[in-house]
Amino acid sequence: MAETKTIALLGQPNSGKSTLFNNLTGLHQHVGNWPGKTVERAEGFFCYNDVEYKVVDLPGSYGLSANSEEEVVTRNFIWNGVADLTCVLVDASQLERSLYMLADFVGVRSPVMLVLNMMDVAEAAGKKIDVKAIEKKLGIPVLGFSAAETSRYPEFFKKMEAAIKHPTCLDSADLREELNAGGETPLHMLEEILDDLKIGNSENLWLAVKLLENDKLVRKAVKDALPFARRNAVESILNSAEGCDGGIATGEAKYRWISKIVKETCSEKTPEKVFGKWDRIATHRIKGKIFSFVIMVVSLICCMILAFPGMGIGFGLQPVLQSLVDRICGSLGLWPVVASFINNVLVGGTCITICMTSFIFSIVFVFRILEEIGYMARFSYAFDNWLSRLGLHGKAIMPLFSGIGCTAGAVCGTRVLDTRGQRLLALVLLWAIPCGSKVAVVLFLASTFFGSAAPFFALGYVALIFASFWLSSFLFGNKLVPENERVGMIMELPPYHKPHWKMIAAMVGRSTWGIFKKALKMILMVAALFWALSYASDGNVENTILYKIGNAIEPVTMFFGMRWELFVSYLGGMFSKEASLGIMSTLFNHTGETFSLVTRVAASENLGEVLARTISKPEALAFIFASMFNVPCVLAMGTTYREVGTIKWLATIMGYYIALSLGLAFIGYHIGLLIF
Amino acid sequence: MMQQENIRAISLSEMGENSTGNIAKIEGDSRFISRIISIGLTPGSSFTLLKNDGRSPVLVFCRDTVIAVNRRECSQIYVKVEA
Repeated sequence: MAETKTIALLGQPNSGKSTLFNNLTGLHQHVGNWPGKTVERAEGFFCYNDVEYKVVDLPGSYGLSANSEEEVVTRNFIWNGVADLTCVLVDASQLERSLYMLADFVGVRSPVMLVLNMMDVAEAAGKKIDVKAIEKKLGIPVLGFSAAETSRYPEFFKKMEAAIKHPTCLDSADLREELNAGGETPLHMLEEILDDLKIGNSENLWLAVKLLENDKLVRKAVKDALPFARRNAVESILNSAEGCDGGIATGEAKYRWISKIVKETCSEKTPEKVFGKWDRIATHRIKGKIFSFVIMVVSLICCMILAFPGMGIGFGLQPVLQSLVDRICGSLGLWPVVASFINNVLVGGTCITICMTSFIFSIVFVFRILEEIGYMARFSYAFDNWLSRLGLHGKAIMPLFSGIGCTAGAVCGTRVLDTRGQRLLALVLLWAIPCGSKVAVVLFLASTFFGSAAPFFALGYVALIFASFWLSSFLFGNKLVPENERVGMIMELPPYHKPHWKMIAAMVGRSTWGIFKKALKMILMVAALFWALSYASDGNVENTILYKIGNAIEPVTMFFGMRWELFVSYLGGMFSKEASLGIMSTLFNHTGETFSLVTRVAASENLGEVLARTISKPEALAFIFASMFNVPCVLAMGTTYREVGTIKWLATIMGYYIALSLGLAFIGYHIGLLIF
Repeated sequence: MMQQENIRAISLSEMGENSTGNIAKIEGDSRFISRIISIGLTPGSSFTLLKNDGRSPVLVFCRDTVIAVNRRECSQIYVKVEA
């Protein structure tokens, strides 16, 4: 096989970049970080005609100006000229606007190919685009395409192969003419001063445009490269009246350049209905929120239904396999320790992983469908006012809301946010939102100990969650999303599209499979560790290592109002919420079985009575508070690690919530001691 | 000169729903300008204002695209509306 060719995918959000990337590379993907950056780097491979191609999905950006960390990565990649071919993706149904990315690419001396994506949508809207004419006008390969239709990929491969064999760059003459329309423009003067300067693979024209757009990195690079006198000349032009409009003039010129291309090559009907009845409701200040709320509840129900088969398999398989293992081990005369290990670690761990990942699949799937339909942007619009107070973009509403269903799945959904800071802040807030199981545990405890006062606990819980949002935003907000980087909502509301179910299911299926494999390893490890700590050959709790450790640290944990049994249950809650009840059931009710993280019988029948008898009210209060803000399950921590990319951040968020929950437990316990 | 009198420049957030206008001027730092231009709003572009309820972000239709613009940012965009 010959050397690997590199293809970079460049396009604005909603251009269908990730669809193309996923369909090209399938399972052959690698997601990591860009060296020295915290920006996600997605790469994949595919083969065509015995040549291997590496595809790099460049981080989302709106143009080639470097305003965010993501955009810096994208721009530097283009600048370094690593790619054998850059595919610029534009939305054919919004050709004029999305060609801006290509206009920004003019002046970059790098082989390029233009992909007019969503041709089907454009045609359905009555647009006629003469692809051949655009190709002729631009002098680069142009492909009319629809990334979601797998049958059209042969066209892509052919075009791409030819584009790599005969590399062509964009010609800058036409854009230069537009930019210099006023005669003696600052741009013209800048170009003359830059003269023979060479930075990256861009022409002086491109550098001069970016200088006028006040791109700090280009400005610095130019300053460093120029001798003193010329540097001063550049500065004086940029500081002059015409030179400091921040790129409005260059922007106008780029759109004039685009208009000329579009006018000569496309014809269109004026769209009849751009803003229909549904959009009026969806964006209404009050109705929109109610409407979004209904849609979100319906989507959550859909998630539950979708997750049901996986849950069924996980739940159903466990007792069957466990009794099978017992019988086989019994008949082989193996030590009971082997059966215990297989059941509590291997079988239990695998089954619980199946249950948990089926939730992740369903949430991410429903998420992608809503995004693809175009509804996600309407949600974001409806809730932007609220979320911007916390420093978040409206887009964060969906991941936050789906946290009620499953934290681990919702964590994957934070990927819709544009910058890493936004993603991290959303993750921090998300951890405070209780998933269904956590709510069940908290309410069970509240009604067990405080009976009819339980509804007050529910209300108090909601209030505490909102208070924690405020606290998190206060503590993390400014660091993650600095005030001067907070640009208010400037967002496209994309037209509604028909979702491509099959393609999305395949895409989400692939990523869930990746999560499943990693999660299985992690869950088995944690389960094995817990098993080793909690195994006693005679089934007596007092002979376990956990009992000894628990007793040793009880003086400390009592400080937070938790005797060792409760503290171990609290730790179990970090594995799964059900485990927390399962452990309590074993420790307080002496159900006979050794306690295990994977117990499926969440609570034995009279657990409530026994608990109410043995545990005092202040202790109960402490434990309820601790459970409310305990960290989410082990899988949610795993997906969080996947999103944040560093142990440091995972540890920070974990530490924050452990401190928060123990702090509340401490307060609850000591107030309880005063009252009861 | 007659034509000039019929046209007045107001900020985008003061515009009424379903009226059409032309962007006259955009103010702000280069980060904002780069963002607003890359999404398709430039001086001279004509658009229709779809929604302005006084509190939510304003919705405009420009270059085949529905664009939401936050209210604070709207006050930095000046438009010419035909009387």
